[in-house]
Amino acid sequence: MPAYFLRSICLFLLLGLVPAGAAMAAGEVSVTSSPGDILMDARYDGTTLEVSGQAPAGSDVVVRLVGAPETVHLREKGKVFGLLWMNVGTLAFDNVPRIYLVSASRAFDDLGPAGASLRVTGLHDRIVQEHAASSQDLDAVSELLRLKVRDGLYGEPAQQVRLSADEGGSRGFTVTLPVPSALSPGGYTLEAVAVRDGAVIGSASAPVQAKLIGLPAWLSHMAFDNGLLYGILATVIAILSGLAIGLVFQSKGAH
Amino acid sequence: MDLSFSLYLPIAGNSVNILVILGLGGAVGLLSGIFGVGGGFLMTPLLMMFGIPPTVAAASDSNQIVGASTSGTFAHFRLGNVDFKMGLLLLVGGIAGGSVGVQIIKVLRQLGNADFLISVTYVLMLGFVGGYMFLESLQSMRASGRPQTDSKPKPESTYARMIRSMPFQMDFPRSGIRISVLMPLVLGTMVGVLAAIMGVGGGFIMVPVMVYLLRMPMHVVVGTSLFQILFTCINVTIMQASQNHTVDFVLALLLLLASSVGAQVGAKVGKKLGGEQLKILLASLVLMVMVKMLYDLLATPDVLLAYMGGH
Repeated sequence: MPAYFLRSICLFLLLGLVPAGAAMAAGEVSVTSSPGDILMDARYDGTTLEVSGQAPAGSDVVVRLVGAPETVHLREKGKVFGLLWMNVGTLAFDNVPRIYLVSASRAFDDLGPAGASLRVTGLHDRIVQEHAASSQDLDAVSELLRLKVRDGLYGEPAQQVRLSADEGGSRGFTVTLPVPSALSPGGYTLEAVAVRDGAVIGSASAPVQAKLIGLPAWLSHMAFDNGLLYGILATVIAILSGLAIGLVFQSKGAH
Repeated sequence: MDLSFSLYLPIAGNSVNILVILGLGGAVGLLSGIFGVGGGFLMTPLLMMFGIPPTVAAASDSNQIVGASTSGTFAHFRLGNVDFKMGLLLLVGGIAGGSVGVQIIKVLRQLGNADFLISVTYVLMLGFVGGYMFLESLQSMRASGRPQTDSKPKPESTYARMIRSMPFQMDFPRSGIRISVLMPLVLGTMVGVLAAIMGVGGGFIMVPVMVYLLRMPMHVVVGTSLFQILFTCINVTIMQASQNHTVDFVLALLLLLASSVGAQVGAKVGKKLGGEQLKILLASLVLMVMVKMLYDLLATPDVLLAYMGGH
């Protein structure tokens, strides 16, 4: 248990979710977003965050929106009898961020080791696979990354971070970060990382809350806190709607 | 004006296009009304294609089928196509079989090869049921080429003699048959076991069972099947909502509004088609689903990991 705890802390630090303190002390990197929180009402269909901030002069900037790390259980697909593809087991992964959207002021390949670590594939070293896959040659973590990218939860949006000219010791940056509709309500971290000569020279973060409001909030409350009543109501309404539509058709069909 | 048709579904955790969902509901409802199947075996994979998680897709679909089968049962009831007595007996068997099936699945999961068995059962059942129905209706359509009536005298088979000699014979006037009470109870149980193992309502197995083993007329089969599906899905919806919180009511409501309309139209279309035509169309549909499943089993998946839930 202590080993696990220690490992979690190390990974958390590696993910770079808490080094903000050190960088903020230098006062060089800052980040804010508009809107500050994501409000999910019935019309929510993904949104965009207008991110802006300051970074040290002459640095490149990587901006990322990261979800809290969680444990994910997935089914492993494998060949049975060398012919049929089906589920051959379950795999568990630790330290999987719920979401990971990252954008940089130039191609990640040009940002050296820091760029490689910050881009989506950089998560490969930080996600922990709890036990080996049934098939020995399966790189399960890479498959997990591909699954998340396919679902739009991980990605490197096409739009790059725009930098303004150096002014004094710093430069401004802005980027529009698209947020997918499959975002779950909860807390996220928006982070700006300054990179120079392939190394991270500072970072800052800001919390972003995604919350349900209006009808979705009410429905979610009903479904999770009053499941039985919700189920019965859903059934009764379904029956009444079915009957009502039946009656409409009956009156139309009468001749 | 922002003319977007997107709607955020909090339980599914994603947004959908309202028009797409209405279209899906209408199309599946139409098939449901024509053939008396719940359509779950079509709807769940379609919803997954539009970004709904598998568990939410299956549970919300049951909720939707409650509405659609109410509307369909009602339409068929007015046409005199629901054999309530038979439906209730099949239902009692189905509930017993469902409970047995759930236990079987639990044991299989512990043994570790449940998924393999489910997939193979699925393909074999679909292939067998679809293939048999297809060939049988093709033969009878050829045989009864001249007169369009279904009444063709056949020599009494061993099967017919066997079911006539069973105890507890009872009249089912709506279906126009006299059989043992044990028949629907036992067959209902068997379908219940299979449906629970495969995780479906069982409409597409129940319909052929009623046609070939209970020898009910096709039109009564459709109405009676819908009547029975209604109760199965009420049970599933309430269980899923209270235990797993996977019923997205907004999604279900959109689907059911469209599918109830579809089912009404379907019931009318079905009445215009002959029994043999209905059978051969349903058989083709079942075979198509089988081919799709077989393809999924044989083709290399894009990603070698999948979310939990679903099949």
